[in-house]
Amino acid sequence: MMNEMTYTICIFTENTIGLLNRITIIFTRRRINIESLTVSETERKGVSRFTVVIRHESREEVEKLVRQIRKIVEVMAVFGYLNDEIVYNEIALFKISTPLGSKSLDVETINKEHKAWVVYWGLDYVVIEKTGNDTEIFAFFDYIKQYEILEFVRSGRVAVGKTEKGLVEYLPEGEWTYYQ
Amino acid sequence: MEAIANAPETLEIPTIPTYINGSHALMQTLVAEGVDTIFGYPGGAIMPVYDALYDFQERVNHILVRHEQGAGHAAQGYARMQRRAGVCLVTSGPGATNLVTPIADAQIDSTPLVCIVGQVAKKLLGTDAFQEADIMGVTMPITKWNYQITSADEVPEIIAKAFYIAQSGRPGPVLIDITKSAQLELMTKPYVYKKCESIVSYRPRMVAKQEQVIAAAELINAAKRPYILAGHGVQIAKAEDELRILAEKTGIPVATTLLGQSTIPTNHPLYVGWLGMHGNYGPNVMTDQADVIIAIGMRFDDRVTGDASRYIKQAKVIHIEIDPSEIDKIIRADAPVVGNAKDVLQALIPLVHPNDHTIWRNEFRKYDIIENETITVPELTSTAGKIRMAEVIDMLSTKTKGEAVLVTDVGQHQMMASRYYQFRRPNSLVTSGGMGTMGFALPAAFGVQVGAPDRQVVAIIGDGCFQMTLQELGTIVQNKQPVKAIILNNNFLGMVRQWQQLFHERRYSFVELQNPDFITIARGFGMDGQTCHERDDLSNALDTMLAHDGPFLLEVIVEKEENVFPMVPSGASVSQIRLK
Repeated sequence: MMNEMTYTICIFTENTIGLLNRITIIFTRRRINIESLTVSETERKGVSRFTVVIRHESREEVEKLVRQIRKIVEVMAVFGYLNDEIVYNEIALFKISTPLGSKSLDVETINKEHKAWVVYWGLDYVVIEKTGNDTEIFAFFDYIKQYEILEFVRSGRVAVGKTEKGLVEYLPEGEWTYYQ
Repeated sequence: MEAIANAPETLEIPTIPTYINGSHALMQTLVAEGVDTIFGYPGGAIMPVYDALYDFQERVNHILVRHEQGAGHAAQGYARMQRRAGVCLVTSGPGATNLVTPIADAQIDSTPLVCIVGQVAKKLLGTDAFQEADIMGVTMPITKWNYQITSADEVPEIIAKAFYIAQSGRPGPVLIDITKSAQLELMTKPYVYKKCESIVSYRPRMVAKQEQVIAAAELINAAKRPYILAGHGVQIAKAEDELRILAEKTGIPVATTLLGQSTIPTNHPLYVGWLGMHGNYGPNVMTDQADVIIAIGMRFDDRVTGDASRYIKQAKVIHIEIDPSEIDKIIRADAPVVGNAKDVLQALIPLVHPNDHTIWRNEFRKYDIIENETITVPELTSTAGKIRMAEVIDMLSTKTKGEAVLVTDVGQHQMMASRYYQFRRPNSLVTSGGMGTMGFALPAAFGVQVGAPDRQVVAIIGDGCFQMTLQELGTIVQNKQPVKAIILNNNFLGMVRQWQQLFHERRYSFVELQNPDFITIARGFGMDGQTCHERDDLSNALDTMLAHDGPFLLEVIVEKEENVFPMVPSGASVSQIRLK
């Protein structure tokens, strides 16, 4: 699509069975494809945070989507963001073949230029971890593909808003304990 | 050593307190929630609850339906009359899946239901056990909330939460899936019931923000041609009086949606008619003339707006609505007011100036004259050919003084009932609006009668619809409910035939029915009935039906190829409404 924008939707929910399904069927019904999805418990115990990345050409439709998600009984709050409103990252792992006699890795370039780290040495392969936004990860991908990439995996996006307050400040009042 | 020697010979067994099982906890909680009527159907995975129910027969009236869909629609009818949750109780698997249609119907028409369905034992979950269906997954998109209970201890809290969610805010259906093991096992603690009064993640707004109400009042006070569109939300909020007071103070004309009918008496001077594909001429086209639209408890369904991109473009829109996701969903609101219709209108009434919009209101009347001349009068005064649907409804309206509750099915007869019944009392039309569920009327009428024993209940049913749920005649007879049912029989799926005639060059594709003898069927169930063929017999036939002590089926043979007008063709704008 011409004017597609990337939206990051942060959803705070109670941590209960079936929530993922409740949330994703709202996307499915409106034929919105989920680009990435990450779920984890927040600093508040029992509160999960979903980070969903979608691409859409209409801000209005995304706002409607956000309101539909907010309707789920277990959902406490939903926030939709454009990229410039958040700090966000992903993590990628590259499994690179290093058989005997192959071209040796330029670890200095990997470390200094790409801020990527070798996190595991196998007998004839290494695993490199690269954290960054998708542009940075794919820049590294382009660099490292001169070696044989055995496996490449990228996590979903995690993001925090650029507002001063933490998002949990916006959650409804209640008895909260901090996540241990 | 001595102590041991002196020990008593028999071991002392400490008495372990035993607590009630999940099924009794369920029944106790239902009673605590004020449930006195359950529509249900037993089966394997819900038998422990039925066993507990046996002990509660004095306090809870369980009604055995003939099909779970009937239980769902009956509970909907009951809920609409009582304006609180209707309760269904069914077994797992097919029992639960048979409830899917009424649940979807209740969701789209905002009807509170608590559906309790059995499930296989916890250890069998996910094993494709006998009568196991993933009803949680199936109903997730069509319920307001659903939950699977897998231990007896959860029962009181979850059931209380179910009623709270179903009945608060914008009402809707809640499904509780309860495993057989949870029904059977004992609680591990004393049973305690506590009413659910709030949920941290769910806070429906009842009272609107004052600045939103003020913004709405300012638009109303400045309006030259204001127009109120009242929906089902007004009835759900019991805000009929507030709506009338607002209209009378400001002189603003009021139209209703299909489900909003009877909110204001049809003879009220400010009532102009109803909206929608087959609604009245004036109310539809005048939406294009208004400068301020005040939409109350309605959601701009596509049957109301026609082509939404061409709907009320010229008007400022005030949207009073309890569900924030409805704001800007179809029509952008200039002044959204999120809150319960009753609370919002109470706050709004003191802020609006008294006014008199007689000249503006009279503009509706010229359309009424056209509609009367081209449609209404000819339909009501025809003397040749078979009886017209309009005549039946009109005569019924006169004979019941507009005070009956009409329960209508879906199709031409539904639209005709809405066109010609002159409602005099609030909450008097129960119909399947959003879902358009054929087969709704007969079981719903039964539920309406149970929920409103003092009211005359008349179901208006098409010959196609009737055959979808006719087995509920048995429920009506067994429970001795004096439901009157009128089949308007044209031997066609009339509305589909009308579309095929108008938009598919009369290619009548599978719409003609070879019908059974409906009266013989009714008699087989032990219900009286008669067929009316001739115009001259209609009055007597209606009198016989209305005077009959107990349920009665009246079949009226009507004109075969009658069309419902006005009609906004699908996808057209409301201004393109057709009169023929």
